[in-house]
Amino acid sequence: MTLKKDKLLPWAFLALPLAMYLIWVILPVFQSLLFSLTHRDTIMYGRKFIGLGNFVRLVQDPQFHIALANNLVWLVFFVGIPIPLGLGIAMLFNQEYPGARLYKTLFYVPMTLSFAVIGTIWAWIYHPDFGALNTVLRLLGLEGATRQWLGDKRYMTLALVFVGVWRQVPYVMILYLAGLKNVPEELVEAAMIDGASWGQRFRHVVIPMLAPATVVAVTISVIDSLRAFDIVYVMTNTKARAAEVLASYMYSSAFHYQDYGYGSAIAVVQFAITFAFIVAYVNNTLKNELQR
Amino acid sequence: MKKVLAVIVACVVAGAAFAAGSNELVINSYMSDQAPKETFQKVVDAFQAKNPDIKVTVNTTAHEQFKTLLPSWLTSKQAPDVVTWFAGYRMQSFAEKGMLEPINEVFPGGSFEAEFPGAFKGPSSYNGNVYFMPQSWYWWAVYYNKNVFAKLGLSIPKTSEEFLVICEKIKAAGIAPIAIGAKDTWTAGGWFDYMNSAVNGGDAHVKLTKGEVPYTDASVKKSFGYIAELSKRGYFMPNAASYSWQEAASVMFRGEAAMYLMGQFIKDVAPADVKDSIDFFKFPVFEGRTEYSVDTPTDGFMIPKNAKNKEAAKKFMAYLATAEAQEAFCKPLGRLAANKKVAVPNADAKRGLDMVLGAKSAMQFYDRDAPEEMAAKGMNAIVDIIANPAQLDTVLTALDKERVRIYAK
Repeated sequence: MTLKKDKLLPWAFLALPLAMYLIWVILPVFQSLLFSLTHRDTIMYGRKFIGLGNFVRLVQDPQFHIALANNLVWLVFFVGIPIPLGLGIAMLFNQEYPGARLYKTLFYVPMTLSFAVIGTIWAWIYHPDFGALNTVLRLLGLEGATRQWLGDKRYMTLALVFVGVWRQVPYVMILYLAGLKNVPEELVEAAMIDGASWGQRFRHVVIPMLAPATVVAVTISVIDSLRAFDIVYVMTNTKARAAEVLASYMYSSAFHYQDYGYGSAIAVVQFAITFAFIVAYVNNTLKNELQR
Repeated sequence: MKKVLAVIVACVVAGAAFAAGSNELVINSYMSDQAPKETFQKVVDAFQAKNPDIKVTVNTTAHEQFKTLLPSWLTSKQAPDVVTWFAGYRMQSFAEKGMLEPINEVFPGGSFEAEFPGAFKGPSSYNGNVYFMPQSWYWWAVYYNKNVFAKLGLSIPKTSEEFLVICEKIKAAGIAPIAIGAKDTWTAGGWFDYMNSAVNGGDAHVKLTKGEVPYTDASVKKSFGYIAELSKRGYFMPNAASYSWQEAASVMFRGEAAMYLMGQFIKDVAPADVKDSIDFFKFPVFEGRTEYSVDTPTDGFMIPKNAKNKEAAKKFMAYLATAEAQEAFCKPLGRLAANKKVAVPNADAKRGLDMVLGAKSAMQFYDRDAPEEMAAKGMNAIVDIIANPAQLDTVLTALDKERVRIYAK
């Protein structure tokens, strides 16, 4: 009897959140899957299945290729820059010296701003004629380096990614700072006594101890790069075909052009890619949990 | 973004649900700019005073969000009773799907024609029924900075040749001949409408927006080619793609650019001290074709099929149609009222009206005459051509592929 009660009680508490999760998260995932197989007006004006038609169109759609390639750029930069940079800054701040707290806070400030605010500010910074970036370049006599950052196809995505990275670095820094608190002092000291150099201590003691933090940082950066939308939307008016990412293309297809079927198909692709990373992450976490 | 939308939807749905219980009239409006919003509220207040038994609620949503949300309101079982919208294809595509309530019988004078010019009936109707109540309209023209023209001793260009000559003079003086805020791609839509109708005529232009002419057609290549030529000669302001429409307007207000193909609402954003130095002229004649077309976007109202309180909605529509209500809205804003009994608000509007009356045909605007997706891609194409005129053929070939797909349905 008690055993049964023990087993049931957690489920009773979980019932409501689980039901909400099912209705608001799991169900829509399958609905999108269903919508992705239908004709453009489906959601609003009656259903018409067209099989894999939307996906065939995706394969042939140059705009979709651009969005996919741009997401790849986002992914590479989001993993390649904030992880080492965030770790480096965290190492720097993990020591006690005057003003450390202040610097830490200053570095963290971008995280406290919403993407909409960040996007608006950076759109001004990037403005070719009165923006801060080109103004500084001109003051330095680098007239030739000035660009139309958000108006020229060639620089758009990189300009946007830079802003995303700028905001992602402090996030990763915080993750690593927390991770570093878990590196036992004694372990580092023991390595010191054994005659390990700074580099050796970093490479063979700190890095392995930070592995869980790295997994979290990489996974979150990958997911953040795949769901990049806010910055693209705010800074380019979403009409920037050259800077389009999957999320923004999904948004304009579904909600601007009312092509809900096609928008759903893009969402499904985005979901599949993100899902693969999440499965890898959960798998990894579970393995570690079970080992303990 | 999505959260904001969700909250807005929730509020609107909740508002509409509440309305079901009493004699409440729910109006969803996109008039989010200060001046039109306040003016519309005055019109609503006047209606409210005449109909104390009806409780009117106005929900205002920003223009772009409104466009995104409208389809979901129209299909909702809790639809608002009256919504703001545009005449022409954008209204007709909803009427075609059976989502609108006909309003044939609401006109106070007994018929549509009793209140409005006959020319407005087509864009307000679908399949013989009127679904749209026109309220105000405005014109597009080439706005210019009079000070720049005076300083350089330029006169108004009537033909494309004269236009090119003054562009060259303006450019030589170190001023950008043509302002365009291409970050808002719709600013390129005006160029599409005016250039293509000027070069190929109004009828050919209608066929193009209906999807019946390929974008790779020689005639279309020719009109887009003129735009490419203006860009090749460096007549469009530099870095245009980084400017919003208002930012580009202030470049012209400051005298750093000379001309701007824009709607009458450009006057709304002009500072008081430059308002009088901004004037407009008719788009120049191309290839000796003196018959011309004008962009005259018409704004108004419709009743959703699922409206809860159609009786009150029709009462409100009848009031909106009156000369009194139309004047109350249009006069303070300097727009032209759709009701023909309303006097023209000022000398500017008189000239605008004369220009429109002299036109052979009127267009609503690219993104109102064509499906939104087609217009969006077409406007993108023009921005691309302005940025990169050498790519003309490639851009048009890609655009025509989209045309084939979008109109295939």
